Amino acid sequence: MNVRIKYSLLLLGVGTILAFLPFHPSDSFLLKSDELLSVAASGENSFTVDQVARMVNREDSTIQLIDLREASQFKECNIPGSINIPFSDLLNPMWEGTFNQRNLRKIFYGNGDQTANYAWAIATGLGYKNNYIMKGGLNEWFKTVMLSRFEGEKISPAENALYETRFNARKAFKQINSLPDSLKSRYFKAKNIKQMKLDGGCQ
Amino acid sequence: MGPLSIVSEFPEWLNLLIAFFIGIGFGFALEQAGFSSSRRLAGMFYGYDTTVLKVFFTAAIVALAGSQLLSFFGLLNLKLVFVNPYYANSAILGGIIMGAGFIMGGYCPGTGISAMSIGKIDAMVFLLGGMLGAFLFMETYPLIQSIAMENYKGNMRIDEWLGVSPGVFTLLLIIAAVAMFWIAELAEKKFSRPDITSDI
Repeated sequence: MNVRIKYSLLLLGVGTILAFLPFHPSDSFLLKSDELLSVAASGENSFTVDQVARMVNREDSTIQLIDLREASQFKECNIPGSINIPFSDLLNPMWEGTFNQRNLRKIFYGNGDQTANYAWAIATGLGYKNNYIMKGGLNEWFKTVMLSRFEGEKISPAENALYETRFNARKAFKQINSLPDSLKSRYFKAKNIKQMKLDGGCQ
Repeated sequence: MGPLSIVSEFPEWLNLLIAFFIGIGFGFALEQAGFSSSRRLAGMFYGYDTTVLKVFFTAAIVALAGSQLLSFFGLLNLKLVFVNPYYANSAILGGIIMGAGFIMGGYCPGTGISAMSIGKIDAMVFLLGGMLGAFLFMETYPLIQSIAMENYKGNMRIDEWLGVSPGVFTLLLIIAAVAMFWIAELAEKKFSRPDITSDI
């Protein structure tokens, strides 16, 4: 066979293979900084602790709380239904399945707002949808959900509902966090396995 | 995981040193491919020698296919690779001026330097003219700035513009390259100038 024909066939073969390869550009920012800022400034990227408490009580399956603190802090206490993704481990490909779920609202929280804001900016910038932060983080959760009490004389129905929500969330929080460490880790392992099964399938 | 300079945060001197060695390699390859001969380069215009088309098109498809394969295997982050911003007016006007200079002078800037380094006098004069042109450009830039900056299209990529995946675009470019190679071979036969090509 003519050498020119051989080269042509080789080139076309390589091109055909490339055309069928899935293109997966490595993780990088898909949104520009001004786009990120406009979403962040709109305030649509956060939930208050009371909103989160309500979701926790309802065992809302459309949210995933993500605790960004270190594993040791997470073991000490966490909001029921949370998974632990330490901020330093955020870009581990292992969490791809959690982030890359369009219909799941991911709610980040840390002790304050800063870490959650960073994680939100990174996840949103990488093109993952439905990322939120819990405003005020765990500090605000403790102040509002765990420690607040009603001290007036007369309670309105709206206030009653609010305090009931906080009370129930507080109860769940205490129950989960009073479990011994062995049971807690078993609980989270079971949760992770369940999630991995859900994430499988064709893309 | 590449690009190495971004991931490893090379110091400036190391970046420049790497560029220096790549430059030496590139210059050597240009010279060895015969690109230091203005007659060979002008042959592209007249059709008797299409080495320029074959070498540059091959370089383009090797770089394109190679970068995509590296990206596929997770070794190169294509999103971090610099994409030249596209100023449509500048690109078109600059392309016309550069093309005219290329055929008149017999060199493009890179091949001019390659030819100068082996002592070709015409290349030295060509580069002197190039530097004079650059000087004039800088001096008159305020006058032409508005034209040069018009029609800014950002970091445009042809595959995104066409709405196809990078792999499909690579295939299209390879098909175009193979077709051009065959046409170039036919042109070389049709416009053959053995009196020139036997000398190069």
